This record gives sequence, structure tokens and C-alpha cells, in this order.
Amino acid sequence: MGPNEELGRLLGEHRFFEGMNSGSCDRLSECATLEQFKTGQYIFREGSAADRFYLIRHGSVVLEIHVPGRDPIVVDTLQAGEVLGLSWLVSPYRWAYDARADQATEAISLEVTCLRSKYDNDPALASELFKRYIPVMADRLAATRRRIIDKAKESRLTREVK
Amino acid sequence: MDQREELERLLCEHPFFRSMSPELQREIADCARSERYNAGEYIHREGEPADRFYLIRHGSVAQELRIPEQESIIIQTLHEGDILGWSWLVPPYRWTADARVMQLTRLIALDARCLRGKYADDPQLAYELLKRFIPIIANRLEASRLQLIDVYGEPRHRK
Repeated sequence: MGPNEELGRLLGEHRFFEGMNSGSCDRLSECATLEQFKTGQYIFREGSAADRFYLIRHGSVVLEIHVPGRDPIVVDTLQAGEVLGLSWLVSPYRWAYDARADQATEAISLEVTCLRSKYDNDPALASELFKRYIPVMADRLAATRRRIIDKAKESRLTREVK
Repeated sequence: MDQREELERLLCEHPFFRSMSPELQREIADCARSERYNAGEYIHREGEPADRFYLIRHGSVAQELRIPEQESIIIQTLHEGDILGWSWLVPPYRWTADARVMQLTRLIALDARCLRGKYADDPQLAYELLKRFIPIIANRLEASRLQLIDVYGEPRHRK
């Protein structure tokens, strides 16, 4: 089995690509790299270029917002089977959070320029990707809003409703 | 001009649909209808079934998050030209925020079941719609992120 076939198989195993046909997984595997991160290592930092996303295979990743002079705000903790990285989808293509490996973590990264070259002229493949991405975005939004509610409760914040 | 033509014209003019082909615009117009709300009315409440989305033609709509035992927080205010509602795309298809009308607002509502029926067999339509919703959800995410930083920045344990 060549490296691409092996990666294609790993992609197909990940929950994100559940139900995706193996032909599409093999095509996308050309954009894939298997990566390892040590505990405490940053996978990306807020503001840097978002040129890939990650499918977590093992370990866990903390998403945090850096606040000068304060502890970072932990937005979410992502586990094996989850997807890391949304910012590659929208301008300005910069990460909105810091992503830190919370333990030894293995992930498949998918490089975005390569991905676009695969799906740009293939609306069916693009729809498959977008259809899978929208719930990931919705999860992140829900996590962020839960944190807003937690923080608001903590600070007993009240706001004028205009 | 009859109502259907009027709806089609309004859709075609809207930035969300302007770049779609006339065929797709016509398909989508089958699922559209006009609605109007007065200041203070709720278009939907968190947890209710999300069976449509809206193009705002005039007016403004506050997206609010309910906080137990406190006043709601406005996460974002949407205006003329904005799209309201993405929850129809994601199970469990329930609204994730309250949408409260801040002034007389006119919208075009697009029925989700009708749209799904159209795009189930049409990958091009699915692609054109999903592609356009990604920046919208990203925009909500960015607004929530800024709101979180804002809430975090407030003095804590104010008694």
C-alpha cells in the first residue's frame, strides 16, 4: 500500500469523512499529511496564516483566545474524531484562536491550496466538504456562545437591551 | 407585476443570490415568500424549529442570547441586505438564538423543506447555497468570539 493509499484509508476512517466514497478520500489524500504534536506544543497561533485544517486522530487540542495580561479564555477542547480549523474557509484566512496540544496528539492535516484545486471544478466534491464543515462551524459557534453565557454568569454582567 | 415576479426580482437583486444563474434564482424563488414584522416582535426564539432562513430587505434584527436570571445579551444586529438564520442546515434544526425585531422589518423567507427538495438532486444548487452559508456562519462565529472577549473583559464579581 503506497503512502497515499494509506492516508486515504486513514481519512476514510475519520468521523469527518464518514460516508464519503473511497475515490474522493483517495483524491483528497494527496493533500494530506500525518502530523504529531507534543503536549504543550502550539499547532497554530491566532493571526497566523490558516492554510490547512486538521482531523484529530489521537489526543486532544485546546482552543484558546489570548487576552493580554490575563489567563487565556478556553473556548473549547477538541478530542479524537473532531476537526480543528475553520479559518481557511473565509477571508482573511487567519487563525482566530490559538490551538495547543493538551496531550500527545496525532492529526491528519489537509493543505488548502491543494484541496481547492481538487474541489474547485467539482461541485459534488465541494458540497460534500461544505456539508461536513457547516456542522463543525455550528459546533464551534455553540461552544463559543456557551462560554459567553458562562462568563456573563460569572461576572453577573447585565447589559441594556436597546 | 404579480407577486411571484416581484419576489424573483427582489431575490435577484439581493447580494446573496445576485451571482447565481437565472435558473437557480427561479428555483429558489419557488420557496420564497414576503414577511413583515413590527418592532419588538420575535421572528423566532431559541430552541424553536428552524425551518427557514431570511433575507432582510429593510429594518434590523437583534440576535440575542438568553442568560439565566439576567437580561439577554445582543450578540449581533443584522440589517438590510443581511441573511438571518443558518440553523435549518444543521441537525437538530433548532434556532440557536432569539431574533428580535428592532424596527419595522421586511424580509423574504425561504422555506427549508422546499429548498432541500430542490437541492437533493441538484449538486450545483447544493454547492451554490452551502458555499454562501459558510461565510455567514463564520461571521456569526467572529461576532460571538468578539462578544466573548468583551464579556471576559468586564470586571468580575461585581456585587
